[in-house]
Amino acid sequence: MKTSKVAKRYARALMGLSADHAQLEKWGAELERLAKIVDAPETVGILDMPTVTLQARVEAVGKIAERLDLSYPVRAFAIVAARHSRIREISAMAERYGRMLDDLLGRTRATITFAREPGANELQSVVAALEAIAQKRVIATTRIDGALVGGAVAELEGKIYDGSLATRLAEAEKLLGG
Amino acid sequence: MAALSPSFAYAAESGGAAQGTWGALVFYIINFALFVGILVKYLLPAGKHFFVERAAGIRDTMSKADRAFHEAQELANQAAEKLARLEAEKARLASDLADETVYQIGRIYDQAQEAAGRIKRDHELSIAALREDASRRVREALAHAAARLAFRMIAADFSAADQQRLVGAFVDRLSAEARR
Repeated sequence: MKTSKVAKRYARALMGLSADHAQLEKWGAELERLAKIVDAPETVGILDMPTVTLQARVEAVGKIAERLDLSYPVRAFAIVAARHSRIREISAMAERYGRMLDDLLGRTRATITFAREPGANELQSVVAALEAIAQKRVIATTRIDGALVGGAVAELEGKIYDGSLATRLAEAEKLLGG
Repeated sequence: MAALSPSFAYAAESGGAAQGTWGALVFYIINFALFVGILVKYLLPAGKHFFVERAAGIRDTMSKADRAFHEAQELANQAAEKLARLEAEKARLASDLADETVYQIGRIYDQAQEAAGRIKRDHELSIAALREDASRRVREALAHAAARLAFRMIAADFSAADQQRLVGAFVDRLSAEARR
């Protein structure tokens, strides 16, 4: 709860730096890249060592930001977060920023899992159907899972839409089993 | 005095000269009178006293005996009464005991009947539960086997067209959801 509030505060602060949607989107992508690096086990292992001073952590985050070639506001954002010992919350900030940006741009995210690699039309039709449900533009992340046997499963705004054959077989088994 | 009359008569008629003298008679009379006087003076009160005391003692003894007799009779009556009460008590106890025995037998019988009924019901329920559980397990096993078989058959024969059809159906479902 505390982390969520902190992440929200930081995300809102970054978002307040610009009104340009394209720039905000670019910062969002950069923030996600930074979060991935900071959350990597190797980085966490070093940054969490008690022997590493705060100054060294700030410098390390600054160097990571430089290596990732982040824009100045995101770089400054990362250094401020490190200076306030909030490095571990950068991924939560990125996630929160992404949601705020999605809200701002009137879009949402969905994860669609197919049993087999989908054709362009299949993916498009599923995304369109999800957009009709959400009444927003949907940014889809696709996955492949052979365990589904056939069909697809979509996760949209915390809700699962299951059209997989594996689930149908499970339901049929449950029905037969009484 | 009357007893002495013949002597007086004998003396008045001068008696037989050869048989005694007046002096002897007087002596005897005085002697006898003294004897009687002594008797009256000492022996009679003592005898009288003795008999009075004896009579009082006998009366007292008789009174005591009478009292004792009455007391004995009273005790005998009380004992008879107690005996009668004891008999009644015994009869009452016997009756109570018989009643209690009948009640206890009835109670034990009822409890036994109830326990038997409960055991029977429990067994019936257990048997029903076991039967239901076994039936459910068989159904589940069969369903699982059928599902596994269906899964293998579908997986072996699943084509791209099938996937396309399933995705189409999924899209239709999502569209229906959107229309709701």
